[in-house]
Amino acid sequence: MSIGERLTEAISPRNLFDINVFGFKVPVSDTVVIMWIIMAFLILFAFIITRNMKLVPEGKQNLAEVIVDFVNSLCKSNIGHSWKLFAPYLGTVILFLAFADMIAIFNIIPNWEQLYDLTHIEFLRHLPELEIKPPTRDINVTAAMAIMSIAVVAIGGIIVKKPSGWLKSFLHPVPIILPFKILDYFIRPTSLCLRLFGNILGAFIVMELAYIAFAPIFPGFLSFYFDIFDGLIQAYVFVFLTSFYIAESVE
Amino acid sequence: MSTAGLIAIAASIAVFCGIGAGISIGLATGKATESMARQPEAASRIQTVTILGAALAEATAIYGFVIALIMLLVYKGGA
Repeated sequence: MSIGERLTEAISPRNLFDINVFGFKVPVSDTVVIMWIIMAFLILFAFIITRNMKLVPEGKQNLAEVIVDFVNSLCKSNIGHSWKLFAPYLGTVILFLAFADMIAIFNIIPNWEQLYDLTHIEFLRHLPELEIKPPTRDINVTAAMAIMSIAVVAIGGIIVKKPSGWLKSFLHPVPIILPFKILDYFIRPTSLCLRLFGNILGAFIVMELAYIAFAPIFPGFLSFYFDIFDGLIQAYVFVFLTSFYIAESVE
Repeated sequence: MSTAGLIAIAASIAVFCGIGAGISIGLATGKATESMARQPEAASRIQTVTILGAALAEATAIYGFVIALIMLLVYKGGA
């Protein structure tokens, strides 16, 4: 198999199984399954970390307070006085994207066939093949995130400014700006979506090439930059730009 | 020249977008460092604006990359 074929196979999301919803067949790809895993992990993580909290933080509560403080200060400095409305959404998105971008570093678990050889549990042989790759390399995922962001921008503007004030803001400095303000609502999600998708896919392709070319040790060093640093920066940039757009719409 | 060769050349030209992004991010970061050295008390605000500028400048390189990738993959799909 040539390098090109291997790369194409690696970057395209694979269909794992179908589920029936009201007679429609809904295909479920591996990106969706990995997102379910991340969601389950984050929900569990949030439950464990916030159990029996005390006034004086200790142990795991410190970690929770660091994360919440980070999100709150980001929102406060960017959005201004109505930050409390948006901090939960932005915090969820930054946690989800950070884990989604970095999850390729956990791609060390053996596949089902090897697990079957170890444990001889018949069930493992019938599971669909699943490799842990970042779900944000699929443009559908990033497009969904971008549409959610722009919906929060629009709904936040309507809630904070009341519908009439929000409509007036389209004509705000001079009425001639109206077409550009409407275009903004289409250009901004497109650029958010393509930025995240392109960055993660680019890093993923470079890592995939590194795994092919110099297999055992060297990709580990590259992984620090391309998986961890790049993933965290892109998650931060996504949330930062969303908060910037929200600030512009609620000010 | 074959179609595959032409598409490969087109994809490599599309990736030239990276030049603009590289130069602009370098300029932005250089200026940010300069102004942080001049006014250390404004460092956090400068950092915010720098990240914003770098993210926006980087988008052009990403568009080039995505276009190159789409060209290659569409050709693979049998266009």
